[in-house]
Amino acid sequence: MEHDETKLISRCQEGDQEALKQIFDLYHNKVYRVAYGVLRHREEALDIVQEVFIKLFRSIRDFKRESRLSTYLYRMTVNTAIDHLRKMGKARVSSLDEEEAIQPAEEPERRPDRIFLYKELEGKVNEALNKLPVDQRTAMVLREVEGLSYQEIAETMKSSIGTVMSRLHYGRKRMQELLKDYLQEGAGK
Amino acid sequence: MKDSCAATSELLERYFDHEVSDEERSGIETHIEDCSACRDRIKTMEGLRNLLKSPVDEVEQKEDFSRVWLRIERGIQPEETPAWGESIRRWIDLILRKRVWVPAAAVIVAIFLALAPSVLKRSPSSSDPSVVEYVESQDYNVMVYESEKGNVTVIWLFEGPEKEGLSPS
Repeated sequence: MEHDETKLISRCQEGDQEALKQIFDLYHNKVYRVAYGVLRHREEALDIVQEVFIKLFRSIRDFKRESRLSTYLYRMTVNTAIDHLRKMGKARVSSLDEEEAIQPAEEPERRPDRIFLYKELEGKVNEALNKLPVDQRTAMVLREVEGLSYQEIAETMKSSIGTVMSRLHYGRKRMQELLKDYLQEGAGK
Repeated sequence: MKDSCAATSELLERYFDHEVSDEERSGIETHIEDCSACRDRIKTMEGLRNLLKSPVDEVEQKEDFSRVWLRIERGIQPEETPAWGESIRRWIDLILRKRVWVPAAAVIVAIFLALAPSVLKRSPSSSDPSVVEYVESQDYNVMVYESEKGNVTVIWLFEGPEKEGLSPS
């Protein structure tokens, strides 16, 4: 797998678009999940995926293989998403009426009252995330959504493991305070 | 919460994130068995993780990433266009390396031969011939011009040389 990836990177560095397509197939989900986790907006997350892979194709000649390709992509995704957040204004809070709001997949959950509660909950989570400093928010997404290790988060965010632990600790604490009404129900599950 | 919980607070979070050694794991698991407060803290962290992760899992399954790839393909296309110098160099390389000039020259000659008759036919030097007749007589000279298709006829009538010499009285 690693050997294949090395070959893919070399081909991509020579301008092979088919190699980029294979890298896209391998990693687009990871990039999307982090982008969506940070932005909480479907179309904007898709725009970030597009931007990240175009950037990758243009900058891959500078990729020195000091880190793994996944880390390189995570870093590009985080930086692009944070830039986007700053451009859009951090205070953007998704509306309950927004079409982007997610609806639960299973049939029993599709009852209108459940959908409303789900949308409300989604809105509250987004609101809570928006109140976190961007570094805490990013660390939370990389750990809780993508399940990265402290070491991987530290490499992605170019910080120390101690800083990562601190960001996670304060991020969790703040989120738990903001979502305590919903977490009491969740804690019992 | 027990007093010992304060000491295990940071450890509990690392345990939850699978960032502890085997020895630490064993210690914390022994503690959790007797401590409902720490068990609740772990459940709260699980609840928060679920709140953050589930919507992403849901939405990811709905996306059509093939559409995104098409946009990426279009986005990287301009990068493929080389600079003028590079472009010329590549063409020269291609011609020298692959000997494409033989079939290319053949194609050019074939196109020229196919188009030549119609091009020559349309050239100004081969414009439609016309009929011109000139008839001289003692009194008058007549010149008749008629286009080949017969749709234009012009007749000039000149006074003859002898009459021209006579001044009108």
